Amino acid sequence: METTDRSKKYINPYLGGVLLGLLLLLTVYITGRGLGASGAVKNAVVASVNEISPAHVKHNAYYSQFISDDVNPLNNWLVFEVIGVLAGAFISGALSGRLKWKVEHQPGIRWRTRLIFAAAGGMLFGIGSQFARGCTSGAALTGSAVLAAGGILTMMMIFGTGYLFARFFRKLWV
Amino acid sequence: MKEELFLSGRMNPNIDPYLNIWHWQIPLYLFLGGLAAGILFFAALYTIRGKAHLMPATVKWATFLVPAALVLGLISLFLDLKHKPFFWQLYTTIRFESPMSWGAWVLMLVTPLSFIWSASYLRETVPSWKWRYRWLESFESWVIKNRPGLSWAMIVLAVILGIYTGILLSAFNARPLWNASILGPLFLVSGLSTGAAVIMWLSKDPAERKLMSKIDLMLIGIELFLIVHLFMGFLASTAVQIDAAGLFLGGQFTLGFWVFVVLLGIIVPGILEIMEIRGYHIPVAVPAILILYGGLLFRFIMVEAGQITRYLY
Repeated sequence: METTDRSKKYINPYLGGVLLGLLLLLTVYITGRGLGASGAVKNAVVASVNEISPAHVKHNAYYSQFISDDVNPLNNWLVFEVIGVLAGAFISGALSGRLKWKVEHQPGIRWRTRLIFAAAGGMLFGIGSQFARGCTSGAALTGSAVLAAGGILTMMMIFGTGYLFARFFRKLWV
Repeated sequence: MKEELFLSGRMNPNIDPYLNIWHWQIPLYLFLGGLAAGILFFAALYTIRGKAHLMPATVKWATFLVPAALVLGLISLFLDLKHKPFFWQLYTTIRFESPMSWGAWVLMLVTPLSFIWSASYLRETVPSWKWRYRWLESFESWVIKNRPGLSWAMIVLAVILGIYTGILLSAFNARPLWNASILGPLFLVSGLSTGAAVIMWLSKDPAERKLMSKIDLMLIGIELFLIVHLFMGFLASTAVQIDAAGLFLGGQFTLGFWVFVVLLGIIVPGILEIMEIRGYHIPVAVPAILILYGGLLFRFIMVEAGQITRYLY
């Protein structure tokens, strides 16, 4: 008898891409804004630094752009969007029977190595996203959806360099 | 010359432009009191129904948390008092028209009862436990024999404790947001829900967990119904109440209340519980923590927002 493990059955990536595009369209229709992810992290960082040292935030050219006296940086729609993403992802994971503590990594490496490289990659991506004024969702996806040249260029650069570097780093994750 | 003198309490500090006297101690106590009421209610209910052996987390394990919750709650109430050395004067009188008098006396009865109740299950939890005195052993066997009778007292006291956490606010007629009679039942239901969440979290028995999950789902439904009717009541009332409701309908508490309390603290755990009942694997801690967090935040927002609402003059 053939058994199918629900947790290993993923959606067709092309269908997933179309659904993601439709979600973006719906987001623009409902909120008048595009999707974003790094913006929420940025606002959380600005709010945390501002809590610890408001003077530093005020005099720092980068942080000071995102802070004003009457608006809390956490009161930003991207922050709420990311909270929704977490709740939705949890429900989706439960529906597919994928809720368990695990670190996905290639059998040849240890889970610790995977986490260290993931954190290092995440940091680089965070820095890069601030140079590019957005990440895959904010700049590349939303930007190219409104036919912004910067968005299309970002999309090409993210996936192009990803393709080039995958050869050297793919052993870390699959 | 005819001289007129106006005296007003509004000249006192922390009264104008809005009341600013109740801080973290009160909502924390309201949460802990409601939680204790919820756990005691279910422990008593299943003892009365003769199903104690089927519900070990409900009747035994969760009740060990109640004395701690009540003591912490009482400490925070005490910290809130301005004239701390006079707290005992609450026990020199009984006033039926005063919610504080009701609360003081109910706590006086329910706190020792919760200690006795959980102590009577101590030997089942720690088999090597021995009472130091002979009279304690005979008292223990008396309590064990009379658990159903004590349960009747406990269930009544738990309901009074749970309702009183809401009445404490709703009896305050100068604050329009609090002065709604629906607040008593709402706080009771919310307290029962947090109690059910703790039991669900502690339970290792799938049948018990599923039953508490179903009960909690029902409580979530009632809670949402009461919240909707609370606001319908405000909006159908005078400009003062409409103004109070405005804090939650576009005002400064809109996001905090509807996103963090109603959505993340009530609806999302409700969805997760429905999924669990339908057979999906959900780590039980997640809905339980969300419900506890929602209940705590709900009380913080109600106390904070209520102090801001006032009569428009």
